[in-house]
Amino acid sequence: MTMYLIWLRVALVLYGVASLTVIPDVLTGHDRWRKFVHPVCVSAFYFHLVALVEMMRLAHHWVPASLHEVETSFALLLTITFLAIYWRYRAISFGMFVLPVIFLLLLLPAAHPDHAPVSNQWMHNGWILLHIALLLVAYTLLLFSLLASLLYLIQERRLKSKQIGGIFSHLPPLDTIDQIAFRTLVIGLPCMTLGLLAGSLIAQESVGAAYFLDPKVLLSIGMWVLYVLMLYVRRHTGLRGKRAVYLSSLVFLMALTVWVANQFSTVHRFAAP
Amino acid sequence: MNLVLIGVNHKSAPLEVRERLAIPAARLEEATLSLLSVPCVREGMILSTCNRVEFLTYQEPAQADLLEFIRNYFAVDTDALRPYIYEYRASEVVRHLFRVASSLDSLVIGEPQILGQVKGSYTVARSIGGVNNNLDPLMQRAFTVARKVRNQTSIGVSSVSIASVAVDLARKIFGSLQGKTILLMGAGKMGELAARSLMHQGAGKIYLCNRTDERAAELAEKFSSCPHAAGQSSATASPVAQAIPYASLHQVAATADIIVSSTGSEQPIFLRRDAELYMHRRKQRPMFFIDIAVPRDVDPEINGVEGVFVYNIDDLQAVAISNLSNRAKEALDAEAIVRAEVERYTRRMHSLDGVPSIVALQESLEEVRQNELRRMTSRLSHLTSEELHAVEQMTRSLVHKLQHAPIQAIKRAAQEGDRETLATIQSVFDLEHRAKDAEDAPITEKAKTSAPLPARAASESIESAFVPTPDATRPASSGTDSAPKSISEKEDCLP
Repeated sequence: MTMYLIWLRVALVLYGVASLTVIPDVLTGHDRWRKFVHPVCVSAFYFHLVALVEMMRLAHHWVPASLHEVETSFALLLTITFLAIYWRYRAISFGMFVLPVIFLLLLLPAAHPDHAPVSNQWMHNGWILLHIALLLVAYTLLLFSLLASLLYLIQERRLKSKQIGGIFSHLPPLDTIDQIAFRTLVIGLPCMTLGLLAGSLIAQESVGAAYFLDPKVLLSIGMWVLYVLMLYVRRHTGLRGKRAVYLSSLVFLMALTVWVANQFSTVHRFAAP
Repeated sequence: MNLVLIGVNHKSAPLEVRERLAIPAARLEEATLSLLSVPCVREGMILSTCNRVEFLTYQEPAQADLLEFIRNYFAVDTDALRPYIYEYRASEVVRHLFRVASSLDSLVIGEPQILGQVKGSYTVARSIGGVNNNLDPLMQRAFTVARKVRNQTSIGVSSVSIASVAVDLARKIFGSLQGKTILLMGAGKMGELAARSLMHQGAGKIYLCNRTDERAAELAEKFSSCPHAAGQSSATASPVAQAIPYASLHQVAATADIIVSSTGSEQPIFLRRDAELYMHRRKQRPMFFIDIAVPRDVDPEINGVEGVFVYNIDDLQAVAISNLSNRAKEALDAEAIVRAEVERYTRRMHSLDGVPSIVALQESLEEVRQNELRRMTSRLSHLTSEELHAVEQMTRSLVHKLQHAPIQAIKRAAQEGDRETLATIQSVFDLEHRAKDAEDAPITEKAKTSAPLPARAASESIESAFVPTPDATRPASSGTDSAPKSISEKEDCLP
């Protein structure tokens, strides 16, 4: 068994433990749980990072191309964002939703090594690495923004209905959730823009103008326009609550569509075996 | 444990009785000195708050007439007071004190002030020598238990007063209240209190509005003279509290994050269309209406506007009551913690009875060893310094091995409360007088490194006497670099 599988499994177990212990932490708000969840998450992150580096080193490239590599990288970005939000805002509530997702994302890569390793001339191209890494960061931030909008909605409903106790009574304040939702979007915009630009440059060089008629590319441009529009609306009208959730969901749905469009794209299939 | 506590509290006595026994903070020292002058009272402390007056004493023998003290000090008829007075002894005192410090015996369970009040009384009593070897460890433990209860349960987490519930809700909406703007509408007492609580949490500015501008100006003056407001006003150019004319109410309201309203108006002052206009001007930034007026000043329909939260007096009270019932649930966990701590402390108190005997035994054997070494000095004069050191080590080791079995027996007897065996051991080793001296002297003094050699060796060993060691026969540590620890510090390490 390769070493990265061992580290990944350790990380998986730690994420599993964190996913379970974060529930009483969020529900009860007791410090004793937080003292446990936080170090477990940090430990899981270290093992996860080591596993990913080892995995990529064994694959002889740094571009996450196969399903296992993308899942592991995306899960790591989710962990980093979650920890960053926790350190900045002390908002552990995100863990209740994100940690199980990370756990599920790692299940397959930790089960067995990748049977269909990807290797072609693009694997060592720095622009491809930039393109994929930036877009993964943008998707991660978009996911967190959507999650924050949902939490905002939950917190707003609780305060409106005057049901202060019970579950979710330890959610972050509305203003904090709003800041998280907005800032993740703001940071995500340059990542998405630069990621798409890097992809366009590669396409221009390799395929030419025909690349821009591909459904995947068109959807990507549509997603970017929607993203900018959402940011503009939020900034200038102070959009919050359920309308913000609808808008975030729409952009996220678009992002998923762009992802799925890989299957229908004729030119954006470099990662296919 | 010759602990005796008598007192009255909000459960046992009405206010008329409590106020007759209340002792103002300025007279607490003098009252404690009077308590200490009662025959048989070795140590004493008085806790006097609006809800309780209690006299905690360590007596020897436990025969002091504290009722007599109350009769003399307060000049009251104690026969009439007797039905209201409770008395606790030994472990009951420990339990009561732990519950009081943990706020389990308070009128509002979990309120945080009581711990500060107990600490205040302790500080006064300690400063005049009322708290020593017997009450000090008990009080220290009570503070530790109170902290433990607060940390391990949520007993003090939720707010139970209208003003603090309002602050909590504002925090749930805005997070930090730093720099937030408040509008206080009307001159109701409750509204003023809520606004003050919000200002204490760091709100940046308060506008005051009333149908009569003079009243608003008066209130603004009051708020400006507040310590929290004054501190901020010096740092900012605009005044912290500002009266505004009633005509500009809606214009200013749009800039306020929190509106506290408590007027006597028969009609609502804030309507849904007003709130919608505010939100448009504010670019949907949330607003919080605290409506303490009856009849209501804020149209309940406003709660339907996105981003606006309206809480009236009933809503705030409902949250307070719900929080109170949550505290009652947490109190069950807290009681379990207190029960375990009382048992632990009581056990420890029994085991401490053996300390004087152990000290006496160690001193006695060390004295024998020193005398023998001194007697042999001339015969051993031909030995080198290394050989003399070896002899010194050998005799020390011998003494440690010899005293191991009796020390274990003393510890066992002390833990089981077997005074007969303790007395037998003291008699066999002729320790009665020494043990009595050891009891009278504070343990911390014995541990001082400046003490004569036998006492120092004994104090070094005493620290390890109650701490289980894998090899009890090993010589006591000769290192004296680390500061000696008092028994109370060591107690935390005991099981």
